Amino acid sequence: MATQLPSANPTATAAMPAGTWKNRRWYLGNFLFVVPFLLLFSIFTLGPIFYSIYMSLFDWEILAKSHPFIGLQNYADLMNDSLWWLSLRNTMLFAFLTAAGNSIFALLVALAVNQPVIGRDFFRVLFYAPVVLSVAVMAIILGWILNTQFGVLNYLLIWIGFAPVPWLSSPRLVIPTLSAATVWWTFGFPMLIYLTGLQNIPDVYYEAARIDGAGRRQLFRHITLPLLRPIVFFVATTQLISHFKIFGQPYIMTEGGPGRSSFMVIMYLYQTAWRFYRVGYGAAIAVSLALVILFFTLIQLRFFGGSGDEAE
Amino acid sequence: MSAFETSQLPPTAQPVAAATPPVRRRPRGSWPAAGLYAGLLALAVVVGFPFYWMLLISVTPESQIYRWPLRFLPSAPTLDNYVQIFTRADLQIERWFANSVLVATAETLLTLIVCSLAAYGFARLEFPGRNTIFYALLFALMVPSQVTLIPSFLLVRWLGWLDSYQGVVLPEIAGVFGVFLLRQFFLSVPRELEEAAIIDGAGRLRIFWKISLPLVRSGLVAVTIIVFLGSWNNLFWPLIVLNRLEMRTLTVGLTVLNGTYGAEQRGIVMAGAAVASVPVLIVYGIFQRQILQSISITGLKG
Repeated sequence: MATQLPSANPTATAAMPAGTWKNRRWYLGNFLFVVPFLLLFSIFTLGPIFYSIYMSLFDWEILAKSHPFIGLQNYADLMNDSLWWLSLRNTMLFAFLTAAGNSIFALLVALAVNQPVIGRDFFRVLFYAPVVLSVAVMAIILGWILNTQFGVLNYLLIWIGFAPVPWLSSPRLVIPTLSAATVWWTFGFPMLIYLTGLQNIPDVYYEAARIDGAGRRQLFRHITLPLLRPIVFFVATTQLISHFKIFGQPYIMTEGGPGRSSFMVIMYLYQTAWRFYRVGYGAAIAVSLALVILFFTLIQLRFFGGSGDEAE
Repeated sequence: MSAFETSQLPPTAQPVAAATPPVRRRPRGSWPAAGLYAGLLALAVVVGFPFYWMLLISVTPESQIYRWPLRFLPSAPTLDNYVQIFTRADLQIERWFANSVLVATAETLLTLIVCSLAAYGFARLEFPGRNTIFYALLFALMVPSQVTLIPSFLLVRWLGWLDSYQGVVLPEIAGVFGVFLLRQFFLSVPRELEEAAIIDGAGRLRIFWKISLPLVRSGLVAVTIIVFLGSWNNLFWPLIVLNRLEMRTLTVGLTVLNGTYGAEQRGIVMAGAAVASVPVLIVYGIFQRQILQSISITGLKG
């Protein structure tokens, strides 16, 4: 960067009119490039973030005439709200299972399709295909395949001599099942990230190690894995953060059931704000979830501090 | 599904564990080919089968869907389910499809315009506070989008934009991610090209449009794919903003369709899922090379 500056500056100033007044106009013209974005961003992202925090301090209902200020009462209520804790527990369980499943499974698949096998482009394209499905399509198809009574998976299980499994209708199995379905749907994305990472490992490392007599297993353990570690960590944490936002899969496949076994935070938010119109309390739910996610984001950034460049 | 996962892990995992040095050594090496291949084929079946199953059930007469033993080949294929979803008054699937195309296209185009202008500004143009603003944006990237849902909804409602296209589209287009990604691309364009144009007396907008933008085409393609797919698949926001039957997007329409008919009329629901997904899969099939490439270059930058 520093080497570029000398060559960049003279021409930049050549194009920039001299004098403070003209300078200002020049800067203003530059600034106009970012104005549309900043405007929309302020209206629909930045403003709402602060307004959410503000709203969460009120007893605010959409249809009510007034909304009294109640300080942190919504948060106090939330701390004693068993539904909040249940949905948070379900969400975290889902997010951890899915992040772990996706990170490991996608890594194994990426290692496999990184090999020079016949038709590997076909495999890559096929394995990414579920990612382009919408959550509605995916939930409709897999929900039916996993149906306890009529599902083809149980049909096959019975056929090979097992008892049918209540995939989506057992309180204990429902979240692992939703998580596995989500892995089916999304593992293609981390697979591609791993593939990029694998291809970024310079061949010379392998060649040098091979000259030193390293075997296949040693190459994997001492070159592939260490060089891939930051990417594995990156995938695991970004997966975790993104799967905290789960909504569609349980909303369509189980409606939060059986009972409330797959009831998630975003579903609780949806119910509170858009079914019961309690937007103040809903805002408190949203802010609390955001704090939980932020906590994991900060962990990610902290651990990423030094290794972020390696991932680029 | 967890049975699939656990039964799938060993075959693909095997090659890693059972690694015997191969006879011929290639740059990246090849694992014991048979085990690897068996694993990949098994996974291909697990990934591909649900697509087949969707199509199969969509052409199966309703009376046969619940009959055991299940059939894995069409016995009496019928297009009745498709006829029904296109003719029933309470389903407007062609309209939902058009809505989804319109919303996704508008969202993509507007995002491209707004984000590429801003990205260029942050990458190349000087103005006071530029870096401060940019780092503040990066900080905002950490705040999960769910916080904005309720206030954005109230704002859209206050504007009278419920059940409108602008209500679905406008709140979604100013994504920090797009700006961040495109800025990276603009930074990698050699300055000399722009400087030559400055000397020739070209204005900023002209340089941006004629020189810089064509050079970041792969970034624009990546943003297009990500934004289009994201919009096409978005469920929560359209679900709360769009209520009228004819305004729904495909994803919302399907969700409601599943809720209404899921229990009794699987064939119709599957036909709906097929109508929603087959065009996307065809587009994906045609552009798979570019799509996979852009996702790969983006994955780590984001």
